[in-house]
Amino acid sequence: MAARAQKFFSTTKKGENFELKAELNSEYKEKRKEAVKKVIANMTIGKDVSSLFADVVKNMQTEDLELKKLVYLYLINYARTQPELVILAVNTFVKDTDDVNPLIRALAIRTMGLLRVERIVDYLLEPLKKGLRDEDPYVRKTAALCVAKLFDLSPAIAMDNGLVAIVQEMLSDRNPMVIANAVAALAEISGASVKKDVFVVNNTILTKLLAAINECTEWGQICILNSLATYRPNDAREAREIVERVMPRLQHANASVVMNAVKVLMVYLNYVNDEDTTKQIIRKLAPPLVTLLSSEPELQYVALRNINLILQKRPDVLNQEMRVFFTKYNDPPYVKYEKLEVIIKLASDKNVDQVLSELKEYANEVDVDFVRKSVRAIGRCAVKIDSAAEKCINVLLDLIKTKVNYVVQEAIIVIKDIFRKYPQRYEGIIPALCENLDTLDEPEAKASLIWIIGEYADRIENADELLEHFLEGFKDENALVQLQLVSAAVKLFLKKPGSAQEIVQRVLNMATQQNDNPDIRDRAYIYWRLLSSNPQAAKAVVLAEKPPIEADTATVSESLLDELIQNIATLASVYHKSPSLLGGTAVDVSAVRGETTLEMDAEEPEVDARSVAQQVNAAVGGGIENLLDLDFGGPITTATPTSGGAGLTPQKSNIDDLLGLMDSGPGPSTPPYGTPTASGGFGGFNFGSSLGGGSGPSFSFPKTSLLTSADAQGLELQGTFSRKNGQPYLELTFGNRSGAPMSDFAIQFNVNSFGVAPAAALQVPSPLGPGATVDVSLPLNTSGGVQRMEPVNLLQIAVKNNVGVYYFSISIPIHVLFGNDGGAGAFGSRWGDFALSSQQFTIQGLGGVQDLAGKLRRNGVVVAQQPNPTTFQVTAQTINGEFVVAELNISSGSGVAVTAKAKNADLIPLFQQSLEGILRS
Amino acid sequence: MGGLFSRLLSRLWGSKEVRILILGLDGAGKTTILYRFQIGEVVTTIPTVGFNVETVTYKNIKFQVWDLGGQTSIRPYWRCYYANTDAIIYVVDSADRDRVSTSKEELMAMLEEEELRDAALLVLANKQDQEGAMSHTEVSDALGLTMLKNRTWTIYKCSAKTGEGLTDSLDWLVNVVSGGAK
Repeated sequence: MAARAQKFFSTTKKGENFELKAELNSEYKEKRKEAVKKVIANMTIGKDVSSLFADVVKNMQTEDLELKKLVYLYLINYARTQPELVILAVNTFVKDTDDVNPLIRALAIRTMGLLRVERIVDYLLEPLKKGLRDEDPYVRKTAALCVAKLFDLSPAIAMDNGLVAIVQEMLSDRNPMVIANAVAALAEISGASVKKDVFVVNNTILTKLLAAINECTEWGQICILNSLATYRPNDAREAREIVERVMPRLQHANASVVMNAVKVLMVYLNYVNDEDTTKQIIRKLAPPLVTLLSSEPELQYVALRNINLILQKRPDVLNQEMRVFFTKYNDPPYVKYEKLEVIIKLASDKNVDQVLSELKEYANEVDVDFVRKSVRAIGRCAVKIDSAAEKCINVLLDLIKTKVNYVVQEAIIVIKDIFRKYPQRYEGIIPALCENLDTLDEPEAKASLIWIIGEYADRIENADELLEHFLEGFKDENALVQLQLVSAAVKLFLKKPGSAQEIVQRVLNMATQQNDNPDIRDRAYIYWRLLSSNPQAAKAVVLAEKPPIEADTATVSESLLDELIQNIATLASVYHKSPSLLGGTAVDVSAVRGETTLEMDAEEPEVDARSVAQQVNAAVGGGIENLLDLDFGGPITTATPTSGGAGLTPQKSNIDDLLGLMDSGPGPSTPPYGTPTASGGFGGFNFGSSLGGGSGPSFSFPKTSLLTSADAQGLELQGTFSRKNGQPYLELTFGNRSGAPMSDFAIQFNVNSFGVAPAAALQVPSPLGPGATVDVSLPLNTSGGVQRMEPVNLLQIAVKNNVGVYYFSISIPIHVLFGNDGGAGAFGSRWGDFALSSQQFTIQGLGGVQDLAGKLRRNGVVVAQQPNPTTFQVTAQTINGEFVVAELNISSGSGVAVTAKAKNADLIPLFQQSLEGILRS
Repeated sequence: MGGLFSRLLSRLWGSKEVRILILGLDGAGKTTILYRFQIGEVVTTIPTVGFNVETVTYKNIKFQVWDLGGQTSIRPYWRCYYANTDAIIYVVDSADRDRVSTSKEELMAMLEEEELRDAALLVLANKQDQEGAMSHTEVSDALGLTMLKNRTWTIYKCSAKTGEGLTDSLDWLVNVVSGGAK
């Protein structure tokens, strides 16, 4: 039996592969070629011919280019199934990369890259290196891509052997095609690499890329455009230059080139900061996008998805082109839906009539889905454009009159949204809606109508009847409808307590006792308890003002939008999903973007601080006085952008710049001030010494001379800082030593370490007569621009009057910046924090210390603990949150030994300085 | 039909090639000998990873000469090339006394192969120009050639570098191939 069975497995037929093998080893050249062709034919139809590997490879070394290509094709297909035999092909590759014919050299290199067998990689490095330096550009460009493939197979080998470095050098090749392929290879390598630092476009490369873009193929152009999109221009001028070079690509016949050019322009719009160029770019963007819409539907779809994003970022790009987005009867549904989205995005109060009549047309079409979306679009227009709401309502009412079931239902759903957006405006149409009660069969439509009934229960006479109608089938309703019914019944009861009591009880009963859905049960229980315990509270909860709804035209979040704009013309922008979610290696912008904003912030003022200031000026619209008014009248807000923005410029020029503006003012500024007498009295009144009360006088250093009459054309200025009730003040004494009255005083602070800035305008009586002296107290806060100064507590201040602008600097003692709450509770944890800087010093020569705790407290230093009579543990905290903790030991002599700690080491010397003053006072 | 016709034609006036394998340990000089045969010059070579194949026409006979890499890693794949082989040129580095026994093992293993039963064997004792090289009789003994039965074989001393002995060995091959060993 067994022997007989065996017979079936032994066969005299050797099979086709056996025959092919014999033919491949034939002694006739023609026969061998024939055989290779047969093998390839079998391969393409899926027969397994991998067993012939060695025999096919034998035919690889041949003069016959056709045969060679066939063998290469076979190799690419089967190399991975026969990795150990691939070694037989190595020598031929090496020889072919030495061939006189560049086509064969390139072919060999390309094939090598496609083999993807790690064990032969080592043998192929040298030929590849040679290829990268080949004299023929075709070979070089092929080799460049091969490096990317090799990197994919084995990153370490590609990096360690300097192959990637050679490709980087190739960015400066003289042939544009080679540059394009080098860009493509590097972009791919960079995307796959861990550090992403393989491909960084810099100035020199940029020039090369821009030169190459006009001369290379579509593929090359796409690669270069892609890399341009990740480049961050150094300034607006450079951005404009790049934009100018990219602009002609918009006219390219290839849709992908066009889309990638659009991407580059969209990205660069962020960097071009003058309005004319922005307008010009936006104007240029429209025609190519419109042209894309006359291509095949698939391309249209891709274009529309991208346009959707572009419009979210730049709504004004296509505002003249509404008509092209109107759907054609033969558009496939997916194109129609996308067009609809774009139409809604483009709808504005100018074109809304046109849009509505178009949408109304769509609502009469046959495709149910499209009709629904169109009806919904009408509602979205109403929500988006206030002025068009009424027209939209009328269109919807017309549609409801058609009595087409799904149209009516959809209309009711969107009308609910319109009611939410414009409460108390269109209740008049409710009866028309209620007429259609019976036709509703979809949960969402029912729920919408029930919501409307509940919301306007007091306006609808027969609201209880209407609800009753729905209640009959309560148990069979969808959860969405049940939830709305419960809420609507409660609303009805709260608005018409008498008639609806029975209904509400029945609903709550059904919802709690005969329902399995926990959401509905819970809601019903909550309502029930609210109603039974406190109907007023129930009213407050149920009938509370609802937050207004917004037009839902933005489909992606701001940050995702930026990411997608960087990835226009990729799968990500079609799916509107982050490329990281799609698992692709599309351009990762998050890192680039983060840096960009930082750097742009920092660099912009450096480029032209003056022009920024002028823009602010222009924006304010009223020339210099206005700007100054703002600056001086409201230092908290307006001082920030100018002084903060100019952060990186050298101090001196900075302050010149700011005040240069004041100088150039055609007329004197008029800061608000009180009447001279009142103001003078106020100024003369010395808060520092007489504000006894609870807090007692705080310590102030004596006033120092800030400006002498010689420096400041007769203006004499002395000043110091003080602290009143935890707020810092600048105490100034203005003296007019000139022969003429002075007026129009104003003050401005440069950015400083603590962000100290005036909290109110300078109140100097104007005019200040010759020989007069006035004391002024200027409240300060820390809302100004922050920049570290040297020394840390240096403040640069400019004072202006009708004669000129004068600069001086003054050190601010740290204690005036201490708040009243020193953070005593946090002392323990702060004192124990090892990360703090610590410093010890001794204050000598004190003639005994009385009322230490009181003195400290009046100056914002709080005694947190006093472990023994001579040891004080204190803490203080500046109003912008910096703190110092210290331990004071009063030794038997007259000195105080202090150990101070602070997160910011700069504070300690300042603290020492202030503490010395406080203890000596 | 056309295919059949052309095949008949090619058989008649044929471009039938005599298939010869050049084998031997790595560094024996196989590739240098191949190119000496083909272009008559000494070329600089790198270790052959895989194979070289060249057509050499000598005395009106077209030889298809296969030079296979001799490295240990490639030797197992020699067998892929045995089919339809008319003659084997086995190259030995006469100056490498240490590995002559390895060379013998490889040779014997190869001759065992069924596919090579009818192939003629030409042993070349290469690198005769080097000092201390074994004479061809020494090589012959070391390889145990005299023990061979049912095999047409011979041994020549040669130097791929100087060209010594190569023409003689080719003449022998022509004789064997055309003389109807097959």
